[in-house]
Amino acid sequence: MDEPTLIRHATNGDATAWEPLVLAHQEAVFRLSYLLLGDPDDAEDVAQETFLRAWNHLKRFDPARPLRPWLLSIASNLASNRRRSAGRYLAALTRAFRNEPLSSASVEEKSSQHMQASDLWKAVQSLNVPDQQVVYLRYFLDLSVAETAEVLQVAEGTVKSRLSRALERLRGIIQQDFPVFGDRREEHEGRDA
Amino acid sequence: MNELQQELFEKQVLSISMGLEYPRTPDIAGSVMTRLRPSTRTRFISRPFGGAQGRRLAWSLTIILVLFSSLMLIPSARAAIIEFIQIGVVRIFGPEPTPVAPPNQEAPSTLTPVTATPGPTLPSLIPLLEDLAGEMNLEEAQQTVNYPILLPSYPSDLGQPDHIFVQEAEGKMAILVWLDAQEPERVMMSLHFIPEGSWAIDKMNPTLVQETSVNGQPAIWTVGPYPVRLHNGDIDFTRLIDGHVLIWAEGTVTYRLETDLSLEEAIRIAESLEPIR
Repeated sequence: MDEPTLIRHATNGDATAWEPLVLAHQEAVFRLSYLLLGDPDDAEDVAQETFLRAWNHLKRFDPARPLRPWLLSIASNLASNRRRSAGRYLAALTRAFRNEPLSSASVEEKSSQHMQASDLWKAVQSLNVPDQQVVYLRYFLDLSVAETAEVLQVAEGTVKSRLSRALERLRGIIQQDFPVFGDRREEHEGRDA
Repeated sequence: MNELQQELFEKQVLSISMGLEYPRTPDIAGSVMTRLRPSTRTRFISRPFGGAQGRRLAWSLTIILVLFSSLMLIPSARAAIIEFIQIGVVRIFGPEPTPVAPPNQEAPSTLTPVTATPGPTLPSLIPLLEDLAGEMNLEEAQQTVNYPILLPSYPSDLGQPDHIFVQEAEGKMAILVWLDAQEPERVMMSLHFIPEGSWAIDKMNPTLVQETSVNGQPAIWTVGPYPVRLHNGDIDFTRLIDGHVLIWAEGTVTYRLETDLSLEEAIRIAESLEPIR
């Protein structure tokens, strides 16, 4: 069965039709939640809640539209709410919190590519939340501009201008706070040239 | 950045972001389908925290129990593990505290950041602060909580906090934040008012723990990095903290002053607290 047919069945209360849809989109929803929250347990909670909320509101959804942008939009909102919750709040206010440092062995195991990606993610985390959202959707999840616009419920032109501003800010952050990443990027540019 | 540079940078961001390692995607479909089954729906709805949070709590408890049981087999550890210092809702497990005399009154009158133990270079928290709920002005905050919000009168040029938040944490916790006037992207000091019955906070093995006093009340000064465990009912999480924190309690309120300043300066600030005029 194709996606619109499964959605129609699910809308009529057929939970077995919902399962393949969850399977098809769970990775994208989990990854966006993880990018926004930085914690796999939080991301799993948000991903589960996303599919439960979508199930409860399926009657409002047009089955002719693709499901993924709608799911990602719900996940993005839920993740934003969770960022504002009391627990994360206290942690955020402790001026200098950070994740457990990686052991030297695990650092060595990481390939240069993964290190670059990890540095890039840290740099993106310094952006404001709307900029983070647009960067994660367009680049990290590789959504098209049209899909990104649908998730964010804005015009495609707005996505393009937001991306342009976010990239400008991101470049500034990388130059200022992630010189190592910058060096690696320049090496990369040199190789590409 | 001209158009060509932007296009190149965009391509690089796209290419590099594809290399990010994600945790394995959990079986979300299985969990969702379980929660959708009518026979189990009521049970899940009645639980405030299900799914991963419940599992995380179970894991935390398991790890704590196993760790605790293992340590109890070692006589020297047995004494140490049972002993902890409690100030209000904060418990500190770890090294024997060092008594410290209260500061003399000849301390410098200007705020001098501690530079001997600089913290790690971290992204600014300002975007996080701007994104947090519960921000209000002092008057509103005082009307929201049922204890007096106190402000430091020392140093005289400190001024009012730049951000004031009240958060529901099983009790209304007020948090005042002062930004560094020289570097407004940096938080200089935060003061937390944690009422009785609120979140319990456990600090594990701070680098330094010193006993001291604030207005004659026992107080503790901790220096990171150390893990802090916050828990209340089903909510339980741990974060690594790297900061200097003075903790004391008066009446039913626990005070937590986090700052880059020295212990002496922190105590002077703590002892200068007075109600909002």
